[in-house]
Amino acid sequence: MNKLTMSRQDRRRWRAMVVFQLVAYGYLLGMFLLQLYMLSNRDW
Amino acid sequence: MTTKVASSSTAYDAHQERSRQEQWRADKWMMVGVFFIGTAVLGLIGLPFFLYGLSLQIRAAKEGLSVRPVLVTLIGYLVAVDAALNSLGWALDLIGNHTLLARVFLMSWGNMFDGGYFWHYNELAIGGATAPGEKAWVIALLPLMFSMRIAAAIGFLQMKRWGHQWLVVTCWFGVIAWTGYVANMTIFFDVRYAGVVFPVVGWWLYDIFYITPYLAIPYLHTVNREIFSD
Repeated sequence: MNKLTMSRQDRRRWRAMVVFQLVAYGYLLGMFLLQLYMLSNRDW
Repeated sequence: MTTKVASSSTAYDAHQERSRQEQWRADKWMMVGVFFIGTAVLGLIGLPFFLYGLSLQIRAAKEGLSVRPVLVTLIGYLVAVDAALNSLGWALDLIGNHTLLARVFLMSWGNMFDGGYFWHYNELAIGGATAPGEKAWVIALLPLMFSMRIAAAIGFLQMKRWGHQWLVVTCWFGVIAWTGYVANMTIFFDVRYAGVVFPVVGWWLYDIFYITPYLAIPYLHTVNREIFSD
């Protein structure tokens, strides 16, 4: 989407979506890395 | 003047009718495809059917016919397949947990990737998975979220306004579900991953395809909603 043609509302929505994705995928990545760390610690 | 209006209106109707027919033709192939893909075990059989249907739709769009946007088709069928796969697997776990299919299919899955479907499987009163919290997710998500998601996907593919709205609702529901489910996998890490063949990386590689349908959220919130009608 061309940012120059966006309305203020569109721009806010677009920014909110970027923040949402960073949080959502950041959380998933965090959990994955935490699980890998836990795996390296276990000697079942 | 009257003749000109009449003839252009007839041409428009013919164009609409031809577009509708071509979309339906493509959808029939894609529906057969996702039917097989949605069974999981027969998934590979469905793929060529789906791809052929998709190619029919793209060809129709290139000819100038008014067919569905490709992204709507891909998101709609992806959500339908995701919901079908989860419904089948969890219906087996919830209701058919003593069937031969469940004991082979789910316990093999458990042995390979997720101890929650292997550790003491079928040993509780309710049957099926015994990992802490797992059954609560099955009960909450199977009859609510995944059923809603199949209905929403169908409405979305029909370009209905309610389909778009319900896909937004259920995609956000998916965020809640996966946030909780992944937290559960981490909290009960030792139950889920001890002794399985491919711990952690195996589970994530397999499940990332179920998690990603909420990639659709930015699209659903930014698409021109006027393309969906009542």
